[in-house]
Amino acid sequence: MTIQPAWQIPRSGLLWLLIAFVGVVIPHVGHLPPWITAGAIVAIGWRIQVYRGCWGFPGIWIKVALLALCIGGLLLSYGLLVGLEPMVALLVSGYSLKLLEMHRPRDALVLVYLGYFVAITLCLFDQSIAVTSYILVGLLLVTAGLAGLHQTAETTKHSAFVELGSLKTAAAILLQAIPLMLVLFLVMPRFAPLWSVPSQRDSATTGVSDSMSPGDFTRLGRSAATAFRVTFAGPMPPKRQLYWRGLVLSDFDGRAWRQAVPWGYAGNLVQWYGQPDGSWRGDIPRSAASLDYSVILEPTQNQWLYALTPSQPLTEGVGLARDHSLVNRVPVTGKREYRARFMPDSPRDLDALPSIRHFVETRLPPEFNPETRRLAAEWRAEEPDNEALMRRLMALFRREFTYTLEPPALGRHSVDEFLWQSKRGFCEHFASSFVFFMRAAGIPARVVVGYQGGEYNPEQDYLTVRQYDAHAWAEVWLEGQGWVEFDPTAAVAPERIEFGMAETLAGEEEFLADNPFSLHRFRDIPWLNRLRLQLDYLDYLWTRWVLRYDGVQEGLLSRMLGAVDPVRIGLFILIAGFLALLPVLLLLWWRRAGNPRSPLEQLYLEFCRKLEKAGLGRNTGEGPRDFAARASARFPADREQIENFSRFFERVRYAGSVDNLEEDRLRQQRRRLKRFRPGAVRLLTSKSA
Amino acid sequence: MAAGSGWRRRWQQFYEGLLERRLPGQKTVRLDSRKLFIFPTVAGFAFGLVLLLLWLLAINYQNNLIFAFTFLLSSVFVVTILHTFANLSGVEVSVLDAQPAFAGDRAQVTVRLAQQGRRFRDSIRLYYPGARPVMVAMADTLTADVRLYVPARRRGWLDPGRLVIDSTYPLGLLRVWTHVKPTLQGLVYPKPLAASPPQQSRPALGEGVLEVAGGSDDFSGLGSYRPGESLRHIAWKQYARGQGMLTKHYTDAVDNRVWLDWDAFPGMDREARLSRLCGWLLVLSRNDTSYGLKLPGIQVQPSRGEGHRDRILRHLALFELTPAP
Repeated sequence: MTIQPAWQIPRSGLLWLLIAFVGVVIPHVGHLPPWITAGAIVAIGWRIQVYRGCWGFPGIWIKVALLALCIGGLLLSYGLLVGLEPMVALLVSGYSLKLLEMHRPRDALVLVYLGYFVAITLCLFDQSIAVTSYILVGLLLVTAGLAGLHQTAETTKHSAFVELGSLKTAAAILLQAIPLMLVLFLVMPRFAPLWSVPSQRDSATTGVSDSMSPGDFTRLGRSAATAFRVTFAGPMPPKRQLYWRGLVLSDFDGRAWRQAVPWGYAGNLVQWYGQPDGSWRGDIPRSAASLDYSVILEPTQNQWLYALTPSQPLTEGVGLARDHSLVNRVPVTGKREYRARFMPDSPRDLDALPSIRHFVETRLPPEFNPETRRLAAEWRAEEPDNEALMRRLMALFRREFTYTLEPPALGRHSVDEFLWQSKRGFCEHFASSFVFFMRAAGIPARVVVGYQGGEYNPEQDYLTVRQYDAHAWAEVWLEGQGWVEFDPTAAVAPERIEFGMAETLAGEEEFLADNPFSLHRFRDIPWLNRLRLQLDYLDYLWTRWVLRYDGVQEGLLSRMLGAVDPVRIGLFILIAGFLALLPVLLLLWWRRAGNPRSPLEQLYLEFCRKLEKAGLGRNTGEGPRDFAARASARFPADREQIENFSRFFERVRYAGSVDNLEEDRLRQQRRRLKRFRPGAVRLLTSKSA
Repeated sequence: MAAGSGWRRRWQQFYEGLLERRLPGQKTVRLDSRKLFIFPTVAGFAFGLVLLLLWLLAINYQNNLIFAFTFLLSSVFVVTILHTFANLSGVEVSVLDAQPAFAGDRAQVTVRLAQQGRRFRDSIRLYYPGARPVMVAMADTLTADVRLYVPARRRGWLDPGRLVIDSTYPLGLLRVWTHVKPTLQGLVYPKPLAASPPQQSRPALGEGVLEVAGGSDDFSGLGSYRPGESLRHIAWKQYARGQGMLTKHYTDAVDNRVWLDWDAFPGMDREARLSRLCGWLLVLSRNDTSYGLKLPGIQVQPSRGEGHRDRILRHLALFELTPAP
């Protein structure tokens, strides 16, 4: 066995690697098991002790034990190591362990590359502008560590704690890389996933869920998070038409509404976009007033999408379901952009419902809400016309009911209690009781959940729909009209539909209870409201042009290049890439050409230039001292400055090199020289002179 | 294996031919794009692997931010190519001087790196094959002098091979290098070998003969005893006569004009003779003896002093070799 000379990791490189470690791991703490965080703290503490010379590196057996602990811990925490969190946990554990094993240059390199991975995986959890900027800082720190490994430290300036040269180098390289990165981002093709990857395991699914029971929507009223954003190809329809259908719930168990089993349909259940026509899609005739729109949906982890009714999908992977809602082929784990065509006033399911569907859409659990069933039968006998019956119920709502985010709790017969006792409720109460009443009267009816309205950004022409816009309404099947949407809430609180949630419920305590400092609370203050809208727009731009860039890439490229083919893309990368690198080339070339004079000489020449401009040139062969004497005689007001500078020049010039101490003096003199105006008229002194 | 080594030899020949065409021996070599080579290091290839993995991550998670960061790091690699290249480009390389050395020792060669502007260059590594690499940086300077110690293998003009200049600054992902041949004139003297001074024909006393005090051959007189002198030389007879402590003084009669003579080592080959002459010369010059040189076709009259010694060493170094490279 040969004893190899111990490789010493350069000091500056090590410090940056440690700083980068801390900076890169901290944002992951939220989704790491606590023991990994603790382990990372121990690892960095240990490494610092090694650096200070207090402790040694762990021996081979300790390392083996640590490795075994990590693997055991990961298996205990996650079971099988599949999924996003286990992957990141594995990366962070490896990153921490590698800190304790740095004997060769290769080890430091592995640490750097792991740092890149850990930093970048952060955007699998959060893609906001803030987090992206933070990741950039992380990349900068890691790159500084890499640069520190390759710098001859003595040549760079030291600060008290770390050596800033490698940070500067890394920053320069990253900044210079950004133009080329933009070119690549613009044109590099995005491929479809090569294999399916496990997504986040326990990400909280926000938004509308696949069942509705009393209280569900009041929970959504607490959040101002964005649900989706919409841009219309034409003028935006009026707000009362903006019912964003998500799910259709036909199955009631006495407490909650759920999706019913799609029995009784002929043909396929979902008509996917782009598939040959010829099944049931002919149900929706095209109307002249169709309107295309595009939606960017925040991740929901669910398959259903939100769309106006009725709409045809215009995006690959999106289909139209039998209940006229849009569905995605796979759960929406990232932001999803899709386009659809809204065809207002097109009737749906004009033909009589198949008997199985009629049964499903009128079925009620027999043991609940006897009072409502009795009254419904009574009204039915009095009003044979369906629409008259509905109008009567709506009139009742309008007369006696209150719309509130803080409804009283309801017991077993929730519809009975709401309709005849509490009379205070939120949209789900109205929708649920309306549908229940209709079914009890023998009319096919079902609950629709989704969002209503949204906030229009007039300057940028797009609509933001937030979680508090979540809404439940009803649809009823009528002879000769097909399915028709009805919103009982509109009868009670028309302002909810006309103006939106924020205006209607701004005073209630429950509204935005999760976001106590949200800017949404200050809609009355104009400039704050404008700021909020602008921030929202920024987020919209970010989502549309960066996060969902693959959605717009093709259109953009074909507009830019005429057509999208490999040759054009290759040529574009070559030409634009060269242009993007040109500033770097020029900078490097210019620096190479550089100034052969020393900083001191440059400074003195500047001094002479200023005096010459004032009318006093330096004679050939005239020494600095003589010249200074002549200048002082000519400009007595500046005498002190001239002599001071000349003395400094002589002293440094003939005393040797400019060392670090003189560097500061040089900077100071440069500052002074900037203010030096020989012979300038001074308002104060010229009078006294 | 044979085929592999054949390829390797052919590559070696091609590479050397390329170097000879592009980088012939010159007094000052200015490094530019024709003379510099650049290629990723192992770390650079590992960086490529990292990029590939990130790209796969971006594709499979359909995450445009990861795409963006992958492209950013790819661009960092491209920008680093320019920086690494610029770190050596524009440097002028010349040899300031090469100290003479004895064969088998190391010769000190001073290489000067110069640049036109005051560009910051860091971590430039220089080495001759077989010599220890030296790192140098140029910060705010127009020149940097580097002393390299190269093995002096054979007598004659120093030929250290091609000077390798390389750098992986700033990120270690790429290595830019060149093999330059700045001309240098360094002498390599023969390897000195200890030689028993051969029998010298002692010329008659007279000119050029010194009597060296402290010898043991001829009695030259008596002197008063100084402590430390050998007891064997005390003149006991005179002491017994009561004339006090006296010592007998002797002198060696030595011909001080030594000839470093080619013919003094009969039966040896050329290099062996030169090595012995060299070793002998070192002894003589240390003793401040006057000496001359007799080689076939060359004769240097005896003299002393450093200039004389160097002249003779030069003759020894270049004997029967072509004059200057």
